[in-house]
Amino acid sequence: MSGFASFALRRAFWIVATLWIVFTLSFILMRLVPGGPFDEERKVPEEIKRNIEARYRLDQPMYVQYGEHLWRLIWHGDFGLSYKLGDYSVNGVIAEGFPVSASLGIFAMVFAITLGTTAGVVSAVRRHSFLDNSLMTTATLGIAVPNFVLASLAIVLFVFTLKLLPAAGWGSLKQLVLPAVCLGAPYAAYIARLTRTGMLEVLGRDFVRTAYAKGLSERRVIVRHALRGALVPVVSYLGPATAGILTGSLVLESIFALPGMGSHFIEAALQRDYTMAMGMVMVYTLLLLVMNTLVDLSYAVLDPRVSIEKL
Amino acid sequence: MSLNARNVYPYIVLVLGIASLVWAVSFGTLPPADFAFHNGDEVKTVDPSKATGQPEHRVITALFEGLYREWPFGYELDEEGNIVNYPEPDENGNYPLEAAPGVAESSDLSDDGRIYTFHLRAEAKWSDGSPFVANDFVWSWRRTLHPETASQYAYQLWYLKGAKEYTLADVKLGDPIEAELSDRPRPDQTFPRGTIRRGKLVGIARPPEPQPASDASDENQEDVDTAWKKRWVYVVEQGSEVAAFSKAEASDGWTDFVIDWLDDESRQLPATVATCLYMLPDFEATVGVKATDEHTLVVTLNNRTPFFLHLTTFYPLFPVNRQCVETHGTPAWTKPENLVCNGSYKLQFRRIRDRLRVVKNPEYWGTKQVNLETVDVLSFKSETTALNMYLTGQADWITDVPSAVIPQLMARKEGDYVPTPLLIIYFYRLNVTRAPCDDVHVRRALNMAIDKQLICDKVTQAGQKPARSLVPPGLPGYTSPQCGVFSVDAAKEELKKSKYWNQPGGIPTVEILYNTNENHRAIAEVIQQMWKNNLGIDAELKNSEWNTYLSSIHSKEYSVARAGWVPDYPDANTFIDMWITDGENNETGWSNAEYDALVQKAAEEPDADQRLRWMEQAEAILMDELPVIPIYYYVSKGMVSPRVKGFFPNIQDQHPLYWMRIEE
Amino acid sequence: MAKQLSSKPDAPPDGDAARYAALLGEARELRGVSLWQDAWRRLKRNRAAVYSLYFMALVSLLAVIVPLLPLQSPLDKDLKNRIFLAPNLAPVRLGSRADLRFKDGSLTSELLEFEQQIRDLKQSLKQASESERAAILQELEAKYETDPLAKLWHAPGPIVRFMLRVRVSLFRDWCIPSICGTDSLGRDALSRVCWGARVSLIVGIIATLVSLVIGVSYGAISGYLGGWVDDLMMRIVDVMYSVPFIFIVIFIITILSAEKNKQFLDNLGINQLVIFYILIGAFYWLTMARVVRGQVISLKNEQFVDAARVIGAGRARIIFQHLVPNVMGIVIVYLTLTIPAVMLFEAFLSFLGLGVSPPDVSWGLLVNEGIKVITPVKIYWWLIVFSGSALAMTLFSLNFLGDGLRDALDPRMKNR
Repeated sequence: MSGFASFALRRAFWIVATLWIVFTLSFILMRLVPGGPFDEERKVPEEIKRNIEARYRLDQPMYVQYGEHLWRLIWHGDFGLSYKLGDYSVNGVIAEGFPVSASLGIFAMVFAITLGTTAGVVSAVRRHSFLDNSLMTTATLGIAVPNFVLASLAIVLFVFTLKLLPAAGWGSLKQLVLPAVCLGAPYAAYIARLTRTGMLEVLGRDFVRTAYAKGLSERRVIVRHALRGALVPVVSYLGPATAGILTGSLVLESIFALPGMGSHFIEAALQRDYTMAMGMVMVYTLLLLVMNTLVDLSYAVLDPRVSIEKL
Repeated sequence: MSLNARNVYPYIVLVLGIASLVWAVSFGTLPPADFAFHNGDEVKTVDPSKATGQPEHRVITALFEGLYREWPFGYELDEEGNIVNYPEPDENGNYPLEAAPGVAESSDLSDDGRIYTFHLRAEAKWSDGSPFVANDFVWSWRRTLHPETASQYAYQLWYLKGAKEYTLADVKLGDPIEAELSDRPRPDQTFPRGTIRRGKLVGIARPPEPQPASDASDENQEDVDTAWKKRWVYVVEQGSEVAAFSKAEASDGWTDFVIDWLDDESRQLPATVATCLYMLPDFEATVGVKATDEHTLVVTLNNRTPFFLHLTTFYPLFPVNRQCVETHGTPAWTKPENLVCNGSYKLQFRRIRDRLRVVKNPEYWGTKQVNLETVDVLSFKSETTALNMYLTGQADWITDVPSAVIPQLMARKEGDYVPTPLLIIYFYRLNVTRAPCDDVHVRRALNMAIDKQLICDKVTQAGQKPARSLVPPGLPGYTSPQCGVFSVDAAKEELKKSKYWNQPGGIPTVEILYNTNENHRAIAEVIQQMWKNNLGIDAELKNSEWNTYLSSIHSKEYSVARAGWVPDYPDANTFIDMWITDGENNETGWSNAEYDALVQKAAEEPDADQRLRWMEQAEAILMDELPVIPIYYYVSKGMVSPRVKGFFPNIQDQHPLYWMRIEE
Repeated sequence: MAKQLSSKPDAPPDGDAARYAALLGEARELRGVSLWQDAWRRLKRNRAAVYSLYFMALVSLLAVIVPLLPLQSPLDKDLKNRIFLAPNLAPVRLGSRADLRFKDGSLTSELLEFEQQIRDLKQSLKQASESERAAILQELEAKYETDPLAKLWHAPGPIVRFMLRVRVSLFRDWCIPSICGTDSLGRDALSRVCWGARVSLIVGIIATLVSLVIGVSYGAISGYLGGWVDDLMMRIVDVMYSVPFIFIVIFIITILSAEKNKQFLDNLGINQLVIFYILIGAFYWLTMARVVRGQVISLKNEQFVDAARVIGAGRARIIFQHLVPNVMGIVIVYLTLTIPAVMLFEAFLSFLGLGVSPPDVSWGLLVNEGIKVITPVKIYWWLIVFSGSALAMTLFSLNFLGDGLRDALDPRMKNR
């Protein structure tokens, strides 16, 4: 397992390095943006504004602020108080929002993988049939329609025409279905196409032919032998898919009024809520990094040709 | 990786996947509330001293109560909360409001209109059962005004004598002062807890003033200035003793300090200088608010302020519980489990960007008259989502609807969308320091080339009224002077008088700045076309998100910018006094001495009628010079379920929960 | 060649010559199929890909010649009469809106008059004395401001203006009725979709080209140089993969749209749209770089590279003249997949309100306007259906085209 240990160490190093780079980059960019967090429509008297800035230590030189933020983050794991949501600390907001976004993301991902691989396998096995053509056309359409359009159409159909599901909100499985499906749909489509391509390639290989020749049933050949090879491209797609699902959740959380992190992410960036924006960026970056690492790991496990030492 | 791990891995992934799926769909379910309303954006804070904005207003008015509260004129309830008298709306569908007793049972006003004596209810209590006393107001207002609280709305209290000086730490020789020593037991405590020393300021010692560097930016200069002021030493006479305080850490050697003495030039600087956190005017001696006994509060104002009772219904003047704030500190005291309040509701729980649930406060003095037991305050942004929830019965009241569907909503057979006029104006600011809006003729032409009626009929569509004045109609006794009416020919004539007419390069292009929003964009696009077609003036559109927009306005980096103004209190003054020279919210660069003088006259005028006349004269100047182009007056865009009674549309768009009741 | 062969002194006998000639002919036949021709042949067999290619060619052509088409104005708002009209065939004349105050309610007459006046003024300018010239110049200047074309189309440049005038002389005031309906401000939806195609395709293509340039150079350099340079460069890519770049895009867009920065950029002749292209391109090169690197690594030890090295070609020359052309196949595949990603991203930014600003119009903006009017009380279906299908069909065909190209360029697919 020493290969694994060195892999883990190297990865940990790169994760920390990336987080630091992202921290620094965001810190600089945020402060270049015009307008501060405490600009209001009714202009506040200069003296009061200075008092506010003093309270959040915005009156300090930039490098002092940078040092303080970084120190607080490393030492206490604390992002500080939100500048805009005065009653909350950034950690508190993340603690409330993360489970929601995570539920949505996991549900969408599971939906995408299940539907995508099934459709892909069916399509590959019944190649050039009517079923294949229509599944693949649907899949391409799924990739081609922006998710906010999909969501709006789904609301009209399932909420108002069929009256099956609630319009928005959070708290029950019913409320989760629509956003998760809309979020997962494009990825299901993409995964279906990847699976189909992979499957077609594998089905032409010798070992599959051998398996058939041994007299194994079609189901057994596909599930036990072919699928593993066919899933390699799908697994390597899961990294970008996670990034996409995180992004997509920004839109769907706003359309379905879900109290996840996505809405904070955009809001914080637009409202110059420096601490909150920083917290969001760091959490998202960490998520992406962890997912990419898991994907690489799975890759090594699924594909015998990939060795973990080289990752 | 061993072969073994390779075989096991898919199962690990599968188990993990199923486990996370189970976790993802495990929810606690909430019992539904009696009433749910969509409050727009998330409430930023429920601290009355720090909040700004409409969503905060609705929540804080439910949780806290001021000396007075807004009440529909003629709406009467009996002891048990049954309706005795239901008022009649005016011809616009609005109900007039009055400032009705809240925590105060009654009040007396001195003859010069400057001293209010409030008599508080004996039965008023905090939600933890402790009695409510007049000193709670004194302490809360002091907190709002204190510079460390950094309240953005502190200026709402500046009508009180000495309040502005307190916030701005404006101390002068001879003033009674309070110095807070830097010995706070808990450094995280944001409201003064250190030892307070009181006395008379008899001398100020200043180090040599730093010479401004020629290449220093304004901001640097400000920093240098602040650092310099921090080193000042204040000499304070406390009875027979004399002490010195400075905000800087023990600075050594005051040899080059220049000392101003109040009277006795022969004084010496004391040997030791104590470090203080704040050097403020003595609150008790200088600020016009006093508790003469447990239930009597005396408030002294700078001038006669006819709208002061209405102002006490506004949240910056609400009380907070000292015990609660001091025990938990800021912001922890606003957590639902800690919060102690005095309003008709108390906070049960908060889920950020989802909902805030409030329940009836049994300790509230009028709790029997409060009908709704539990209320959900839905906090998310999308208006379309809110409408969807309203139509599926998940919300009973939504405060805003998407404008694209207004005609359909107005035609609904339920009749639950009835817009009524509001005291809010939609206008364009013109930057008079930039071409071409520096020419009054161009400004007038731009105004007359806009077909405001068409915008109201076809773009905003909710029955908004085209605006020809800045102060919306509906304020008793005030008649607004009008600016030029839409006329292409008149606009062209006016343009011909401008200095840009027939100049090389033509009339400079204007740029319409608006914050990202569908409605603002549509209006800007239409106005762009009207200016191009009617005057031949090219307009470009510039869309910025809110903070960039604000920053452009504040630094006057725009030529034309969309704006709206929501009054803080129902009085024309809130629309008028912002346009004085260098007024904080002027932002157009416009300045007119005559106008300034009229606003000043109005502020000092004891006669209520004459005061309005001065303001009308001032507005006439504004509507002639047009540093702003009024576009339309807002209407309410809320929808409320027919099962809700006690929802009284009014020009201030106020809908406190304690009015409402549900009749099945 | 056969003649040349036979003219050689040691030429074989005639019979052999004929045989050689036949062989040679055969060889020529075989040699004639290059990689590209082969790929093209295979692509042609893929019906979906071919239709997609035709469709894309059609859309691109349409985007280019939009000003020539007899469409209504994409920005003329007729609030009084034409709000939310469902698709219809009622005839529309250009310039007939009363508030435009065009002569005879017709663009053609107004344009004729306008040009006549300009000609007259220029004429009188020629004959005018020095003292009168200034006044006439001023009048001319003022006259240009009233250009009727600028009232119906936003700030047309010289090329677009020329095309518009051709359009007016071809079709006069006739235009296609609002067969796709009109929007909330009374603008013709068909015309907006067509003009939106210009912006959307240009955003897609330019951003993709930017990403192509960055990605291909980056990947090729990294792959060719190898060693620690390669390690470092690829780590940077890994790091960038993990950056939530929407966040960065939001920030950069707001930074650049601030007044000061905007003026600076305007002086350089760069407008917001251009920033847009570059910005998006700057974030979509990562995958391209990885793919190109992989290809270059497998190619760099081939003989033709060695040969180039032997004859003294520099590194830059080897990378950009010898290696890059050889990876173009895979690059083209990724191009067709990046364009749709970029177009979707543009739509996403429009959803956030950070997209192109009016009066420019893009499909993302139109789709976003479209979903705003899908509500339970009323669905203006035509505003989402047409813009949505334009976007979806384009992305659809680009995806199919990409798939087809990948299959066609994949040597393993050769015999399937």
